Amino acid sequence: MALRGLARARALYEARDDRARELKAQGKRIVGYLCYFAPPEILEAAGLVPYRIRGDIRERVTDADQYVEPYGCPFVRNTFDQAVKGRYDFLDGVVMAHSCDSVQRMYGIWTHYRPAAFTHMVNVPHTVTPASERFFHRELGLFKERVEAFAGARIDDRALEASIDLYNRTRELVWQLYQLRKSDPPLLSGAEMLEVLIAGGGLPAAEFEELLREVTAEVRSRRDGPSAKRARLLFYGCINDDVTLIRLVEECSAHVVMDDTCIGARSLLGRVTNGDDPLAGFVRYYFTGFQCPRTYRGTDRSRFDYLIHAARQFQAQGVVLYILSFCDPHKLDLVDVRRYLQDAGLPSLVLEDDYTLTNLESMRTRIQAFVEMVA
Amino acid sequence: MSELRRAQKSLETVRRAKEMLGTFYRRHERRREGAPLAWCMAGISAELLSAFDLPWEWPENFGTLCAAKQVATRFCEQAEADGFSQDLCSYLRNNLGYVSRALELGATPPEAPGGGMGTPTMLLGSGGLCDPRTKWFQALSSTYLPIPVFHIDPMSPPHDVDPRDPRIAAHYTELLRETVRDQVAFLEEQTGRRLDLGRLRAALANAQEMIALLWEIQELRRAVPCPMGSEDFFTGAVVPLLFMLGEREATEYFRCLRDEVRDRVACSTGVIPGERYRFLWMGIPPWYNLGFFNAVGELGAVFPIETVYYVGAPVEIDLSDPLEALVERSWKRATWIHDWGAEVIPENCSPSGFSAPGTRLIRQWVKDYRLDGAVMHRTRSCRAVSWGQIHIKNQLAEEGVPSLVIESDMADPRSWSQSVIMGQIRGFLGAVEASRREAARA
Ligand code: SF4
Ligand code: SF4
Repeated sequence: MALRGLARARALYEARDDRARELKAQGKRIVGYLCYFAPPEILEAAGLVPYRIRGDIRERVTDADQYVEPYGCPFVRNTFDQAVKGRYDFLDGVVMAHSCDSVQRMYGIWTHYRPAAFTHMVNVPHTVTPASERFFHRELGLFKERVEAFAGARIDDRALEASIDLYNRTRELVWQLYQLRKSDPPLLSGAEMLEVLIAGGGLPAAEFEELLREVTAEVRSRRDGPSAKRARLLFYGCINDDVTLIRLVEECSAHVVMDDTCIGARSLLGRVTNGDDPLAGFVRYYFTGFQCPRTYRGTDRSRFDYLIHAARQFQAQGVVLYILSFCDPHKLDLVDVRRYLQDAGLPSLVLEDDYTLTNLESMRTRIQAFVEMVA
Repeated sequence: MSELRRAQKSLETVRRAKEMLGTFYRRHERRREGAPLAWCMAGISAELLSAFDLPWEWPENFGTLCAAKQVATRFCEQAEADGFSQDLCSYLRNNLGYVSRALELGATPPEAPGGGMGTPTMLLGSGGLCDPRTKWFQALSSTYLPIPVFHIDPMSPPHDVDPRDPRIAAHYTELLRETVRDQVAFLEEQTGRRLDLGRLRAALANAQEMIALLWEIQELRRAVPCPMGSEDFFTGAVVPLLFMLGEREATEYFRCLRDEVRDRVACSTGVIPGERYRFLWMGIPPWYNLGFFNAVGELGAVFPIETVYYVGAPVEIDLSDPLEALVERSWKRATWIHDWGAEVIPENCSPSGFSAPGTRLIRQWVKDYRLDGAVMHRTRSCRAVSWGQIHIKNQLAEEGVPSLVIESDMADPRSWSQSVIMGQIRGFLGAVEASRREAARA
């Protein structure tokens, strides 16, 4: 019997790129992207299949060392290592964004050593000002043109509107699932939620929508949801595209009820305004309002208000701060974030990792102690 | 620690730099209690500061100074104790740690070199070049010094975008123009003065001369024997280029330096006697151990060219509208740099006078500077500059030129191991010598 709902999400998560390869075999063109600053809505509107490039936390970086230095974002190094090892050969295109130094520099190295039929980098200013918003708007216009040239057809306004609507529907469904984590115990665990979201990154949006509907229906009526635990936590930090760590936290008697990460609340909640100027909607959603620490947003700590708000809304008692080595944007926010959380009465635990999770056991001990403290 | 040493300068002009560059080396005399003082990041236009007659100080430079005086570790450790990761740029940690300690003591830390830094009233950051720059002054202001911050935020076209396409040029220069104008508005508000266009024009004219002179010096360094090595470049050219662009005395200083280098070339005077090897230096130098270059010199090797703080070719600009001239210079320089390949040196657009050379230019230097090899300094805490070295190494290998990667840091000497690094250098020289013998036999 075909899998449905959470079981299907898990299978898709485990299978990584099987669906994308199937689509490729059916003649679809697949474009990998590393970060949401290059809106997948645009790729989808052009009839391409966006695929969110994943690292593989279980795979050691080896071959990439011939082309790129050992110090630097371990996630980005890992994704490139996958590419060097041929794991992304099914991609017809690779799109990156100037999200941080690591990705910006990796773009040059990646396109040199693993060129693809279509490659593009979306440039993203570091500060939010009217001038930089205008720049990003123009930049998205150029991206759209490049995508059109590759797809061989203009993206008409209706197609773009339909794509935005589709993505908004998926985000609305994701939000509905998030809501189901507000109860205690939540109806859906943090690991299950992340599996669904990561699975979605490897699917065309319409298939993701269908998956979300199945999962929502299943979760609403489930009786086998998470059992009671001692604490409720918010998970903040760097890219996390593997469920191992969230599972570990949940094994330590804490529910992960909310997050502030890339494949999560930062980019999969909310709506892109669909109006006369869809690119302006992207600017607002993916740049102005996009809470990624790579963007300078003034010096006031109120820039983290959204985080406190999210923690309160989901009744989180503490925050796990997941930080990858060499991630300058996150590491430079860390001191401020911790102090702000502390002032708001939210204890935090920093888990630093080099995208290998080799220190899982020592993390377990620290998480247990943290749960003990916040419970 | 005792193995770490200061550079022995070869050129007379460089030895006199402190006395000739008074605006920089006697800057503490310009400090006035409560008066505007900007802490600035390399990458912004120094000419704009002089147009506002705004006293400035440069935390990155202070990092190099603390490194040279062997106190950077003290400040870095303080920042680390405050929660800033050891992965973060050591200039940044040095600066945050210094401020943290000054606040703790309520006075300038006694170990701070040169009497420490003056108390700033504003922070002028640069969003270009690297991520830490975007976040550094944010952390400084929100954690320690709640004073106004402004970041310029020019963007650089990626390697596969053509900056000569008029649409692309308009797209990038529009942002550049707006960010420079926003900075002017910020400075006008902070200083209570209008931008003095006449002063800006004069500063830009000085800068044009200065860039041309340094360019000429860099060309003269091709000579065999090499008239000026990296020890003199780092001790004598970085301060005026990065922090004094547009100051008259810096221009005169470069003229004097150019003359001396030119004379040396005319008399075939080299930096070291019996020059045997010529190496490219890639990366930020170990500021706490610039004597490293002398130590390598004692083994017969000279460094005639570097990839950092690279001035690039002079460009023509129209000074009638000086703000527009600044935009024009920045963009023309970006285009020139981009032409040489931007796949691993992607940050090419800034209103400053320095950048980094692209891959194709470095390959060309093999012939221009008669390079026998490259020494690459992989600085753990600055990935922005060290990422791409392996790629350049691969490219140089295609030219038949070997590279050695040494690993440590620019300002934090805890990661420098003199015996390991000098052992690597000896091994590298041996390998270069062996392949030379091989080539002679063939
Ligand atoms: S984890 Fe940090 S360094 Fe790595 S890609 Fe994300 S923002 Fe960049
Ligand atoms: S370029 Fe490197 S040394 Fe300079 S501020 Fe950035 S990280 Fe620090």
